[in-house]
Amino acid sequence: MTVAFAFLAGMTLVSALGVVLSRSVVHSALFMSGSFLGVSGYFVMLNAPALAAFQVLIYVGAVTVVILFGIMFTQKPQVRRYRTIINRQFWAGLMVAAGVGAFLAYVLSAEDWGGAEAGNGPREVGAFGRDLLGVSQGSEIFTLLFEVASVLLLVAVVAAIVVSRRKIGEGVDRGVRE
Amino acid sequence: MPRIPTQVQEILDTLVAAPPLEGYLVVGALLFAIGAWGALIRRNAVVVFMCVELMINGVNLTLVAFADYLPNAGGLGVSYAVLVIAIAAAEIAVGLAIVLAVFRSRRTVNVDEVTSMRG
Repeated sequence: MTVAFAFLAGMTLVSALGVVLSRSVVHSALFMSGSFLGVSGYFVMLNAPALAAFQVLIYVGAVTVVILFGIMFTQKPQVRRYRTIINRQFWAGLMVAAGVGAFLAYVLSAEDWGGAEAGNGPREVGAFGRDLLGVSQGSEIFTLLFEVASVLLLVAVVAAIVVSRRKIGEGVDRGVRE
Repeated sequence: MPRIPTQVQEILDTLVAAPPLEGYLVVGALLFAIGAWGALIRRNAVVVFMCVELMINGVNLTLVAFADYLPNAGGLGVSYAVLVIAIAAAEIAVGLAIVLAVFRSRRTVNVDEVTSMRG
């Protein structure tokens, strides 16, 4: 388990650094899917195999493809020097992020979690599904949250279509004016 | 079967044992920090979105680690993680639509060149 933990930690964090520091935007997207795969491996280790499957399907599959489409539509050739892809706050941002990370890591590891042991998660998919639909004891709120999330997804899909639709005669699309 | 020395047995035991809760929490915090760094320094709006997704994944990892390790959590953190994934998917759809609309009208996706709402 420790070997798997260390391997996944390296994969997740190195890929995350690759997202931030790689010169090509497409490489950033591929590094991002590597980082998501590492997190889904953690979900398997944490007794949530169904959530790991969701992670692979939604993040590694859908979100990466949508972002690659976004890159395809918005990329224009430009010099890939660090000065053009990174703004002037490189070191200030690094210090802020390192401060946030160090503070969070310190607080989370200094807190006494009271002899917590692994294995409390809903390993069975049936128990997980009952939790998610608010059927099991103590998770009644999820009935409401599930419905709200579905309405939110519908509204987001409609909003995405409305926002990104091109009105006739307005603007140019990849150099073609109507 | 040959007898394994005690030290080797101890090393093997630590390798097989489940890592502590703090390990997952620290990895989640570092993922969040790296994502925040990228969202602060990158110019391309699409890369900023990717970094926000990294931050969301760090938080999800923390939620699921708590759900698995704390007995009183009842495993509900996993369900919350599913809701977070759904909302993140909605956010990425609307966000990329906005990026596309900005690119149509301004021919750029660099966040420091889109300044029409600057006060």
